[in-house]
Amino acid sequence: MKRLLGVALGVLTAIGGFLDIGDLVTNAVVGSRFGLSLAWVVVVGVVGICLFAQMSGRVAAVSERATFEIIRERLGPRTAGANLVASFLINLLTLTAEVGGIALALQLASSVEPRLWIPVAALAVWLVIWRTKFSVLENVTGLLGLTLVVFAVALFLLGPDWSELADQALSPTVPGDEGPASYWYFAIALFGAAMTPYEVFFFSSGAREERWTVKDVAQSRVNVFVGFPFGGILSIAIAACAAVVFLPRSVEVSSLSQIVLPVALAGGKLALAVVIVGIVAATFGAALETGLSSGYTLAQFFGWSWGKYRRPAQAARFHLAMIIALLIAVLVLMTSVDPIRVTELSVVFSAVALPLTYLPILLVANDPEYMGRHVNGRATNALALVYLVIILAASLAAIPLLIATGGGS
Amino acid sequence: MSPRVRRSALPHDPSATLPLGPRPAGRVLDARLHLLDRQTLDADEVPVATVDDLELVPPAGTSGPLVGDTPVHVAALLSGPVLATRVFGGRPPASRLHRILWRHVADVGTTVRLGVRGQDLDVLWVERWVRDHVIGRIPGGRHAPE
Repeated sequence: MKRLLGVALGVLTAIGGFLDIGDLVTNAVVGSRFGLSLAWVVVVGVVGICLFAQMSGRVAAVSERATFEIIRERLGPRTAGANLVASFLINLLTLTAEVGGIALALQLASSVEPRLWIPVAALAVWLVIWRTKFSVLENVTGLLGLTLVVFAVALFLLGPDWSELADQALSPTVPGDEGPASYWYFAIALFGAAMTPYEVFFFSSGAREERWTVKDVAQSRVNVFVGFPFGGILSIAIAACAAVVFLPRSVEVSSLSQIVLPVALAGGKLALAVVIVGIVAATFGAALETGLSSGYTLAQFFGWSWGKYRRPAQAARFHLAMIIALLIAVLVLMTSVDPIRVTELSVVFSAVALPLTYLPILLVANDPEYMGRHVNGRATNALALVYLVIILAASLAAIPLLIATGGGS
Repeated sequence: MSPRVRRSALPHDPSATLPLGPRPAGRVLDARLHLLDRQTLDADEVPVATVDDLELVPPAGTSGPLVGDTPVHVAALLSGPVLATRVFGGRPPASRLHRILWRHVADVGTTVRLGVRGQDLDVLWVERWVRDHVIGRIPGGRHAPE
């Protein structure tokens, strides 16, 4: 019974933890401009993150090493150093977007200017990182994030033309007033939103935090294979809500209040309250994950003592790094940069940086010195190679498309 | 510029396998593969540092520049500023090397394990400074998370 509860808790956390500000914004923007014609990308992204998370969880559990230690060992200091700089900066960009997302969600609830909420949000994130146990922070934000199911409920309440939605999703075409360049640009953004590198740093370091062993691999596989696809369905529901409300009116989503508007239209004040709780939980959870990831990457590269299971004084540089990362995020947001814009950039750059973490994990997952008999099977490797090609293509095409479309506008 | 040596003029038969030296007793470690960039853990399993470089010394009694195949010993694992010089070239002054003496190494596996506790090691002075001056002074910094 206890084991079953554990499995259920893990799955629910994976569903709630799947969505972050990147998924919310990108799916809503895509829904409002392209309908469901990019829903296939979410499916590709979800299968990819399942594969990637499962692989990195298994590597962490079996080899008892976290991602960035392995990247350094495998690639040497020069390449791994360049990788660290890229991964750390993109993680910082995502952290900035998440903290901004908390502030925007709190603004929706309170009508108080986001710049007043930003320091409060960052302080709250730091306090939780500083004082709360790893398992508590993971489970609470994951479970509260489940309230985003309200997007799926809202879709039913909106009573859309299901056959038209299915038609958009199953036979995707570029809508008339959009160019193919922006279609592919948003395809990459959606892919990057589903497969953000921080999820992998967090997942593999979290496995070390919770002292996973080979026995826990099966449990993590269930969490990932059940939880993430449900998270993907929620992503598509967000896009569908935006498609139903905004696409016929040619309104382009550019703020958080527009993202939640379909829910408010369908379910009124109560649904709006629920969705705001969900967005605060999802962005708060992701801010914790990215905040911790900034400490994990640095500490693992330089070999510092790290981990939430230690007292802060026993992992001093790790905690100092996270404090500095949070301060930088606050400073960036205080320049009144639009967090939605930061989010859109962060998901594209996530796609750019993805091969840097994917390739070393794939190599180590096939290395018997680390993995013993738990190396990748043939089927996993075949799928992993297909994804290597997709990830490389998305990474190479992202920046040219970003320039060509002027950021998708 | 080395003049090309004609195949027929080689001092040994090119198709013959090269003679191997006597196999040393115990486990053979490849410095690049097993030591460089590996995580070191102290006796309590606490991470100490990543091995950024190695300090190699000639056997006692030799002086002057090393020639040819003089065997050298690993004297210490290095960490700290030596990482920058390993990436960009050059070498830091000897006084700025942070050493973990090779005699403190207990085991080499997927991590390098030390037989001593980290708190006695000089390499951890930055960690101790940050702990004593920053993190330890923030309320709750010395308590376990709840």
